[in-house]
Amino acid sequence: MSRHLTRMGRSLSGRFTSPLRSERVAARLGTWLGISFTVAFATGLFSHFTQHPPAWLLWPSRPVNLYRVTQGLHVISGIATVPLLLAKLWTVYPKLWQWPPLRSAGHAVERLFVLLLVAGALFQLVTGLFNIAYLYPWPFGFLQAHYWTAYIVYGALVIHVVNEWAKVRRHLFTRVEEPGRRRFLYTVAAASGLVALVTAGEALTPLERLAVLAPRDPDAGPQGVPVNRSAAAAGVTEVLRDPAYRLVVTGAVRTELSLSYADLQRLPQHTVRLPIACVEGWSVECEWSGVRLRDLIGRAGGSQEAYLTVESLERSGYYRTSEVRPPHWNDPLTLLALTLNGRPLDPDHGYPARLIAPNRPGVMQTKWVARVRVS
Amino acid sequence: MRWLGHAVGGGLVVLGLAGLVMETDPVGWALWFGVLLVAHDAVLMPAILLIGLVAGRLGPAPRAALIVAGAVTLATLPTVLALGRRADNPSILPLDYFRNLLLVLAAVGLTALVSRLAGRAGASRMAARPRSAVSRLRQRLTKRR
Repeated sequence: MSRHLTRMGRSLSGRFTSPLRSERVAARLGTWLGISFTVAFATGLFSHFTQHPPAWLLWPSRPVNLYRVTQGLHVISGIATVPLLLAKLWTVYPKLWQWPPLRSAGHAVERLFVLLLVAGALFQLVTGLFNIAYLYPWPFGFLQAHYWTAYIVYGALVIHVVNEWAKVRRHLFTRVEEPGRRRFLYTVAAASGLVALVTAGEALTPLERLAVLAPRDPDAGPQGVPVNRSAAAAGVTEVLRDPAYRLVVTGAVRTELSLSYADLQRLPQHTVRLPIACVEGWSVECEWSGVRLRDLIGRAGGSQEAYLTVESLERSGYYRTSEVRPPHWNDPLTLLALTLNGRPLDPDHGYPARLIAPNRPGVMQTKWVARVRVS
Repeated sequence: MRWLGHAVGGGLVVLGLAGLVMETDPVGWALWFGVLLVAHDAVLMPAILLIGLVAGRLGPAPRAALIVAGAVTLATLPTVLALGRRADNPSILPLDYFRNLLLVLAAVGLTALVSRLAGRAGASRMAARPRSAVSRLRQRLTKRR
């Protein structure tokens, strides 16, 4: 019986006869995947620590497009990784059925980390693709699960690279000579390039017309700009029309301010061009005008080193408030914006006033701002 | 140096697992983690292998087109299905993705067809091409020898 099983196992992995499966092809695809997972891990960590900075960390407000570029890269290169991962797993699939499955304790541990790498890579790509399509069919929080799984995947990847380095080095700078294998690699690269091409326009405006399979059209939305959280979803449609609206600047200030919408309009107005850039990858540059945040804090007499908390009219929600640290609010580009592309803000874009700052994630560009707390 | 790599990698894995236990629903996470792995190893990959058995008989151009078309479809499927649309926010998933996917797949198919026809035309041109001066000269030289 056991001999029968052994023969079956051996013959099973021996049945994969495609000449395209070679160590060199696997090494080449592995190198590409190593690069794309490194980009994803680095840009993902950047976004995480932008949104949850430790108390001592002061991100600079420039370059203006840093957040936009890194998150566009994260999402578009993530989508383009799908063909690479599938091709790589196809190339090494016979190893799943190797016989005997476990040769020693060391081999068992090695295979356990490969399992974590494969399942983790699939998990990251699937949850990422679902997230940009606004689908959340799972019981856990996407943010936390995608963030912590990234450590598992990258840790397992480091171990895998250490174990396979000799093979990778053998093939790194050698040409894939066999034409069939070369064609296979070109085909996989073409598939990656094509998915990038039909989605990148949601972040890379010159490619906008090609973005036929991107979850966002950078022109679609109120005032021609996309929205993540609508006024209806935030439950503020009624309260934002209230004539008793006042913007309050309070906390560690010399004089508290309480300004009506008309008061805000009477203050010196400035116009800036800044992108609204979402962690989900889409971004678009717009023209905003309104009051400089640093003018408001100066008028109230707050310290230049103060930390600000901007609060929305929203009653609840994870992004009801956001913190603005000195490099950002002292930047002359940072506004409490009243208009978007020359017209008063649409309710979905944060009427009466919203925060807009350079190099900052969209979820932290707080909308429907009613209060600025200085501390 | 190997031990250093293993230590760093192992440390990152432990950090990730600890974070998942503390900040997410670990049972739900493990379920998705396992189901995705099984779905790939036992469903998706066997299906790809079956398609490959048939596609292996086709020429290189249609095979490449199948690979590209399949990869594009899988990589954009959650967007194409557009199940995440919301009544309050029409700027989410605003396009006709099903039509767009068909157009992209048609373009892929067309490219494969053109390259196949071009390849065939190229091959027949090679066969019908009048021999060049060099090859005539070479032939004469070999004859003389």
